[in-house]
Amino acid sequence: MYQVEASKALLKPRLWFRRPDALRVSRNVVMLGMTSMLTDISSEMVATILPIYLVFSLGASPLALGAIDGTYRGAAAVVQVAAGFMSDRFRRHKQVAEAGYGFSALGKVALVAAGNSIGGIGAIVAFDRIGKGIRTAPRDALISLSSTRDNLATSFGVHRALDSVGAFLGPLVAFGILLVAPARFDAVFFVSTLFAFLGLAVLVLTVQGKPWRAPRAETTPPSMGRAAGLLKDSKFVLLLLAALILSLTSVSDAMIYVGLQRKIDFDPAVFPLLYVVTAVAFMALAIPIGRLADRVGRVPVLLGGFAMLFIDYAALMSDHLGYAGLIACLVALGAFFACSEGVLTAVAGAALPDDLQASGIGILITVVSIGNLLSSLAFGALWVTIGLQQAVIVFAAALALALLIAAPLLVRSQRSALHG
Amino acid sequence: MGSRNAKILIALVVLCVVGGGVYVAVAATGPSGTETDQQPVATDVLDQADLLVRAVDPQKPTLNGGVFEVDDGKVHRGGDLSCERVYYAAGGGICMGVAPSGVDYTGTVFNEAMEGVHTIPLQGLPSRARVSKDGKYGAMTVFVTGDSYLESSTAFSTRTYVVDMATGKVADQLEQFKVTKDGQPFEAVDFNFWGITFDPDDSDHFYATLGTGDHHYLVEGHISTKEMKVLRDGVECPSLSPDGKQIAYKSRLGNSNRWHIRVLDVATLKDHAVAETRSVDDQAEWLNDNTLAYSDGKNVYTVPADGSGEEQLLVRDASSPVRLEEPLIGRETGGNRAADAR
Repeated sequence: MYQVEASKALLKPRLWFRRPDALRVSRNVVMLGMTSMLTDISSEMVATILPIYLVFSLGASPLALGAIDGTYRGAAAVVQVAAGFMSDRFRRHKQVAEAGYGFSALGKVALVAAGNSIGGIGAIVAFDRIGKGIRTAPRDALISLSSTRDNLATSFGVHRALDSVGAFLGPLVAFGILLVAPARFDAVFFVSTLFAFLGLAVLVLTVQGKPWRAPRAETTPPSMGRAAGLLKDSKFVLLLLAALILSLTSVSDAMIYVGLQRKIDFDPAVFPLLYVVTAVAFMALAIPIGRLADRVGRVPVLLGGFAMLFIDYAALMSDHLGYAGLIACLVALGAFFACSEGVLTAVAGAALPDDLQASGIGILITVVSIGNLLSSLAFGALWVTIGLQQAVIVFAAALALALLIAAPLLVRSQRSALHG
Repeated sequence: MGSRNAKILIALVVLCVVGGGVYVAVAATGPSGTETDQQPVATDVLDQADLLVRAVDPQKPTLNGGVFEVDDGKVHRGGDLSCERVYYAAGGGICMGVAPSGVDYTGTVFNEAMEGVHTIPLQGLPSRARVSKDGKYGAMTVFVTGDSYLESSTAFSTRTYVVDMATGKVADQLEQFKVTKDGQPFEAVDFNFWGITFDPDDSDHFYATLGTGDHHYLVEGHISTKEMKVLRDGVECPSLSPDGKQIAYKSRLGNSNRWHIRVLDVATLKDHAVAETRSVDDQAEWLNDNTLAYSDGKNVYTVPADGSGEEQLLVRDASSPVRLEEPLIGRETGGNRAADAR
């Protein structure tokens, strides 16, 4: 084992952690994680206070908020497939990712400059969403291309852990500022802009645009036909199908929180803590679960992650759920996040050819987000018509079936990835 | 990373820390800006009406405004209370507004001397406040936004709390009550409740709005049994008349966020329009069994409840009108009367 590692080390870029048994991920991955962390601090700072700001300072109706956000979610999905392909086609993953992060950073500047109109805020939310759509696929491709096929899941685990640290710190920074400078939203916007530009600076200055697995310049860049050919590549299509089936049968965390709140008569003041507990569990588990996935296999960990949802489904079906049960639910939800999205992207990274990483990941993210959207709509509709308990029973049965179908699909996809 | 890039990055970090620190420090020493010192101006319409209102800054209507009593066309400041929604009955009141931090919201339970006695942290933006006629229960509705860590959704929902006025504690939450419709259990993920109004003769009995999908149902319930039943669709922010026979409410115009005030007969559930033709987003207040008061967010108006007459300006730069059974503040303090009452 050690010899294999040692010979590979000749091909690898410098490793961030050098102890043989320690976390082995490329410095590029850590730097991309730092970029995401700083960017997430920036956007979560604004996301946390935006509703309060809009209503308090601009006198907007809270009803306008949902409309502003919902409008731009669809736009991001379309952009990410295109951005993924462009970065493969022109071999400019880093530059496309920079454009995405830059978009969001510029949006923050606009917020400082002209943040006192509803139209202005709408435009800024649009910028942020489009920027996110542009950057996600090329960034994940860079993470994948900066990793070996053996540590893909660990790399994504490290990135997602740093990312969630940002999502956790953002609200704290925002509230911290408002604590010392009450109602000075401009100060929050200003500091948010600084974080956005620092994130961009880390990306521009420290991330290597051509990591060791990136396709060489002398090879022919992939055509659109070849990218479209991914949809005929059986191992990738099997993966997409499995991802779609699993995402269709998993209830969104927001729905689970509302369900739990209906189940337990807890103090409404506790509600935001649900997010905190889940986020902390996700943060703590992302790296160990990534390493586990690299050691024992990504598919079992991925399936195990979705199986974690049964804990939450069982809680939503039960008649009595104490605080211990509630905590177990939230930790299970955090474990689900740690086992699902990052590991799935790692599975994709391993299955996709090196020159089509961003295109494939872009397609995968879009498929998963469509699955999640449909699942939310279906669950909401079932809840209204047959009640929470019955809706959860339907989803639990569907998830069990989905796991039974997805398991062989994923195994076959993996097998052809190894031999194909 | 080349050492040159490392130096640039370190320089940028230092620059950002210093720049951000200075900006926040300067902001911290500036004025807080959660409160306005605007004064309402009473007109001499309806001299007999004795009201409690909160002042509105026309430029920034969501800033906390002082609570004033309008008595015989004069306004008096009531203590140092300052908020966005106020209500009062039988020795106890509720004042809901933004907390001094500018990010949290609080409900203050106050006594007849207009002194805050209990503080209740709120989950979101103040929407509606009521106190039962006997002073036993209070009701608060808030808009909940932004409770999102992993989910970046900004979709809103409401929470409606029942407050035990004696202890200043939240006694119940409407979201946890059982609902029936046509005798069947009724439940949906998107249930939102708002705008409680208490029966003047029985504070255990109340009406409220249940929002789900495109429907805005009038519900009737009891606090003791924690049960509500759906009465009819298209009724928001109900308000019972002092004799308990009529409900003033806001009626949504199509799917828009515009409403007209209408009045419903409790016995027959038949309703009629009032003379006010502009959109009003408020839970109306009854000045007596025949007259309504309400605010457009900037001024308080009055209109006959039977559909006759026309609306009249009652108090300028004020909202949240509350009818007072008897004056709260002595008449010896000065006030101002509008010279140009319309």
